[in-house]
Amino acid sequence: MDEFQLAEETAFVVEEVSTIIKESVEGAIGGNAYQHNRVNQWTTNVVEQCLGQLSKLGKPFKYIVTCVIMQKNGAGIQAASSCFWDNTTDGSCTVRWENKSMHCIVTVFGLAL
Amino acid sequence: MYNKEKASRPNKKRDSLSSLGSHEVKAKETSPKTKDSISTVSYIDDPGHHDDNTRTVVQMENTYQMEPYKRFPASIVNDVLKDVLTSYLQEIKYEAELCRQMTKTISEVIKARVKDLMIPRYKIIVLINIGQLCEQNMCIVSRCLWDASKDTFSSYTFKNSSLFAVANVYAVYFE
Repeated sequence: MDEFQLAEETAFVVEEVSTIIKESVEGAIGGNAYQHNRVNQWTTNVVEQCLGQLSKLGKPFKYIVTCVIMQKNGAGIQAASSCFWDNTTDGSCTVRWENKSMHCIVTVFGLAL
Repeated sequence: MYNKEKASRPNKKRDSLSSLGSHEVKAKETSPKTKDSISTVSYIDDPGHHDDNTRTVVQMENTYQMEPYKRFPASIVNDVLKDVLTSYLQEIKYEAELCRQMTKTISEVIKARVKDLMIPRYKIIVLINIGQLCEQNMCIVSRCLWDASKDTFSSYTFKNSSLFAVANVYAVYFE
């Protein structure tokens, strides 16, 4: 029973992480239109909020958070990732968010210690 | 009924995972609270997470190793990135389907080249973004919560007349 709980605590839980990401994005840029002079600050806010919430989870994980904010202009973008890690303990989660003027893609990778 | 069988494995499995589609990708649409934004979540569904046997954490013996013997050579990886991106994308014009395949292929190729460097005890994450050049603005940012003395990253941006490509490689020391 103890081992089961230990495994629960040290597994990468996607639902929790995706909730955190969505809240961070909504909090930082929800309801705003794309503005070039503010986008730097927005991306920093999104990423820092995500990391803050993730570290509060208290799990023995190293995190990498990536955020892409792109103006909606009809241009296309493709993204791919390839990871060399331990499948049983590590994981990733991507949240794509958009509103009328921009796209925001946030990816969190969690690597177990 | 909790299954008490323990799978005894001498080493932790180090696996490669890529977004090439050999695992399920689940997408969840969430209804927007405010009418003007939509969000979608996607994640790779690992077969390992459904397997009861892998729930038990494998106990590793201490190696008493405090520091990595061989550090991750960020500058060599930078050259690898430059090499791969230039050779694959020099003559390519942006097309949705072609670039989709290209991102997946390039990420696999870069991962293989970095693995060939044989740096022990480092986990590797390769992230590629290829986008169309279209008078739009964009900002790509990443931040990491890790051990700054041991973990590092390498990044390279490539541009031609119709597309741009950003490649990021993160190397995380496995303690």
